[in-house]
Amino acid sequence: MDIDDILREVDPTFHAIPQEKRDLQDLTRAWVAERCAPELLQWPANDLFERVNENIKRQIEKVEEMTGDMDPKTNFVLIVLQTELERFKYLVRSYLRARIAKIDRHTLHYLSTDDLRSRLSEMELAYATRHQALLHNHYLASFLSSFPPALQNLNDTAGNVTMIDAPDLDSAVFVRLLRDTAVEARDVDVDSSTGGQENAIYILRWSDAKPLVDAGSAELV
Amino acid sequence: MPMYGDLGNKLVQHAKRAQNLAQLPAYQTELVRAVTREVRDLDRDVASMLEPFQGSFDPAAEQATACTLLVNHLSMRRNKRCLLAYHRTRADKLEELVWSGSDVVDLAGQQQAGAAANSVPAAANDRQSSSLSPQEEDYVRQYGDLLAAYKGQWTDIDLTGSLDPPRDLFIDVRVLKDAGEIQTEYGAINLTKNSQFYVRQGDVERLIAQGYLQKLG
Repeated sequence: MDIDDILREVDPTFHAIPQEKRDLQDLTRAWVAERCAPELLQWPANDLFERVNENIKRQIEKVEEMTGDMDPKTNFVLIVLQTELERFKYLVRSYLRARIAKIDRHTLHYLSTDDLRSRLSEMELAYATRHQALLHNHYLASFLSSFPPALQNLNDTAGNVTMIDAPDLDSAVFVRLLRDTAVEARDVDVDSSTGGQENAIYILRWSDAKPLVDAGSAELV
Repeated sequence: MPMYGDLGNKLVQHAKRAQNLAQLPAYQTELVRAVTREVRDLDRDVASMLEPFQGSFDPAAEQATACTLLVNHLSMRRNKRCLLAYHRTRADKLEELVWSGSDVVDLAGQQQAGAAANSVPAAANDRQSSSLSPQEEDYVRQYGDLLAAYKGQWTDIDLTGSLDPPRDLFIDVRVLKDAGEIQTEYGAINLTKNSQFYVRQGDVERLIAQGYLQKLG
């Protein structure tokens, strides 16, 4: 699959397609976005992953069923099915790993407010909470417990320096506009606003691109 | 005369060095203890300095004392940051190892082999155990459990699998170490050293990661 296929797939004009295909598109889209964005994005809310999992399970069963058959024709179908299956699994795996990496890097940040917590799936939330607890215990056991009580916190904000590290929301991302829209960006001297055309590709700060992406008028590439 | 924070600085340098090493260097138990001690001493100093004021300390009236207090406070905070950074860096490294599939027993063995090959046999003999602190070993074990639990929810995906996009369903592999017999959908394969096979990637991924097989270009 090359980049044009991906771009075509995320095109919102592509409607009236079966659910399975839409799921694949959504998955690919979520995967690309997650890998490009500097911060954790919303976990897809529409049971996408339940369906994807269901599909994978079904395909695995089908492959197992067909394996006994020695007919060369089935064998070919089998190879196609398995290749597709591997790719599907890769997408999900890569997507989940990208998210876990981000969560691990800024665990306390994502656990700090309800708004941020809601971006994690239930499982991820459980993982992040537990991981943070493990880390804290590790620090406590290693050295923190012999510190004066006032210094044992991990979320101090003394001296206007917060101990909680947050992702850099100003790092640059590439976005492709999905419809004509105004692109507003902060500049060094003056803020600028450009009338963007559909399909145009911009490089923007993530903090500027986020509203566009959230509104569905732009896509990360 | 050593200054406040010197020891902390050393820790950070150790952490920085560890980032680029393939194996985790030995845990700096002494250094960690010394930095922690410095923090405690500083805290005691602060307490004793504030004692005569009975809680009515006015920084404007006693500028010299206020300055000392500030320096002490900053040094304590800095030491704490150094310790946190040191432990976090090591923990990250350990997590990486857990993800890549080496279990704790493996890990300790690996570390020992590394230490023995270090051409300083005396040092290796002194430290019979691995280069992890006991706390770190606990941490690795618990993190492994956590990861296994998270992975268990995605059984079909194999979360720790390869992160390279799959290209071919079947690949050529060469056997580097005897791995015994494995079962595949196409029957059993006997993996003896130096033989070559054309197998399904999904079947042997684990063995490649563990170093039994080598993928041929």
